[in-house]
Amino acid sequence: MASQGIEIQKADNNGIICLSLKGYMDMNSSPDVRDVLTEHFDRSTKAIIVDLSEVPYIDSSGIATLVEGLQWSHSSEKKFRLVGLTPTVKDIFEIARLLQVFEVFNTLDEANQGV
Amino acid sequence: MDSKPVTLTIPSDSKYLSLARKVIEHFLSYKEVPPDLIYKVVLCVDEACSNIIKYSYEGKHDCPIEITFRLEDDEFSVEVRDFGKQCDTKSFRPRDLEKIRPGGLGTLFINSIMDNVHYCTERDCGTLLTMTKKLNFAASKATPQES
Repeated sequence: MASQGIEIQKADNNGIICLSLKGYMDMNSSPDVRDVLTEHFDRSTKAIIVDLSEVPYIDSSGIATLVEGLQWSHSSEKKFRLVGLTPTVKDIFEIARLLQVFEVFNTLDEANQGV
Repeated sequence: MDSKPVTLTIPSDSKYLSLARKVIEHFLSYKEVPPDLIYKVVLCVDEACSNIIKYSYEGKHDCPIEITFRLEDDEFSVEVRDFGKQCDTKSFRPRDLEKIRPGGLGTLFINSIMDNVHYCTERDCGTLLTMTKKLNFAASKATPQES
């Protein structure tokens, strides 16, 4: 059964980790994102930026995965930022009242400022 | 345009959630429902199925989830049926939004987006979840577009 999976591209710029996601973030694919994300929850990571500009769909498991990143950010005092939320994905964050809780940027350039 | 009910049965395997999403998405696109509304009702069905996989079937991958949906007078209605463990539906509460933690968001999305949500456990096994949402898209569809 071919499901709508997710592609994860990773870039490490001197400890600033950028994860670019492409595809559907649901109960099936979120564990893959979580695995990659939690690899970087360590001292050598300065910041994590997650690019969601090519994620047309996210469910509660996808958001829960990103909330784990937020919790890491709070406990480690490192930056955890989101980039490029599509309007429909932004709506879902809004329903969960998480849009003001995450640091959300329109572009990668903006997200890289001040990390 | 109204429709006869459509029933789809998927296994309780998260790999099949995308199939259910695609079928409902296609059905509503064909009925000319706006994409943002499609996303929201599809999300609710997806969350309901995810909860069944996690809680009713406790991760078992080969149990049936029956999804029956229709569109009538601009109202989308969907029944999601499982045959697994019956849970205390009163415990299905959305999480406190002031507490930032993973989990509990699926029920929040269902309760926030759908107009009516009803869980029925008065059966031998499993639960029947019925959800409806008035889509109110026909009026905007009938409005002539400005040139």
